[in-house]
Amino acid sequence: MKKLIYPLAATLLIVASAFTVKLAQDWKIGDNYSIKFSGGDPSGEFKGLKGVVKFDPNDLAGSKFDVTIDVATINTGNGMKNTHAKSAMWFDAEKYPVIKFTSSSIVKTASGFEAKGTIDMHGVQKEVVIPFVFEANTFKGSFEVNRMDYNINTAEPNHGAQKFTLDITVPVTN
Amino acid sequence: MYKKIFQQAFVASVLAALAGIIYNRIYFFATETDYSRVLNWKSIIGISVLVCMVFSFIYYGLTRWLKTKGEIVFNFIFSILSFASIMVPLSISLPLEVKFPELFPGLAVPMVFFPALAWFTVRPLFRHQFH
Repeated sequence: MKKLIYPLAATLLIVASAFTVKLAQDWKIGDNYSIKFSGGDPSGEFKGLKGVVKFDPNDLAGSKFDVTIDVATINTGNGMKNTHAKSAMWFDAEKYPVIKFTSSSIVKTASGFEAKGTIDMHGVQKEVVIPFVFEANTFKGSFEVNRMDYNINTAEPNHGAQKFTLDITVPVTN
Repeated sequence: MYKKIFQQAFVASVLAALAGIIYNRIYFFATETDYSRVLNWKSIIGISVLVCMVFSFIYYGLTRWLKTKGEIVFNFIFSILSFASIMVPLSISLPLEVKFPELFPGLAVPMVFFPALAWFTVRPLFRHQFH
């Protein structure tokens, strides 16, 4: 029996110490998020945001974003433009139904944080850096996207804007 | 002479506004979509009065300038401009909070014809009073 005391003690210590390691927190995406794009004509928003938001300012190595938005939810405020945006000429929502962002690393900056990762849009994967802040359980970020980088209607480079600013606000709950 | 044209334009605008408000309600019950932020009874009345009054001046000018042929030209202009104005609801971008923007043309496109329709409807009632 004495022989087992030390292995048991070691096991208990291992199990107990496991609870001291604070894992990056999983957050649930709130309903009143907004993903708006602007840059002239058209401007609008996306809905259908879902995925994994794992974030802890004190454990950035364990933090991760793996989220998608539903292309078919695009809303420019104009029915015809919405239909065009979803068509094969633009986003081709049938073939590429989601836009995906997967972070590879998150670092702290002077003004907040930066998420480095890959945006997968319209069948093209591109490395991006998304600056964001996290205040009052809300993520806020803004960055530029050029549709030409993702082969979106490259046949008509002057049809509408090429560069868009994405403004993202995502409230989250535990 | 303009007094009678004004009266016709006023009656036409009331008729167009009435038709627009009724159609707006029917469309709401049929589609359960609410566009009151961009098109409500106040804006329908305002647009109907504005269009009919603007065209009353055009009518007055054309009938003074072209005499009896003025009305023929006016009817063409009113019809063509009404038809061309379907581009307004088709191209307009609604506030993003408004749901189902693709159904908005179904509400607004017929309405652009209401002022002309009302004008031509009431025209016989005033025909003998202008000349």
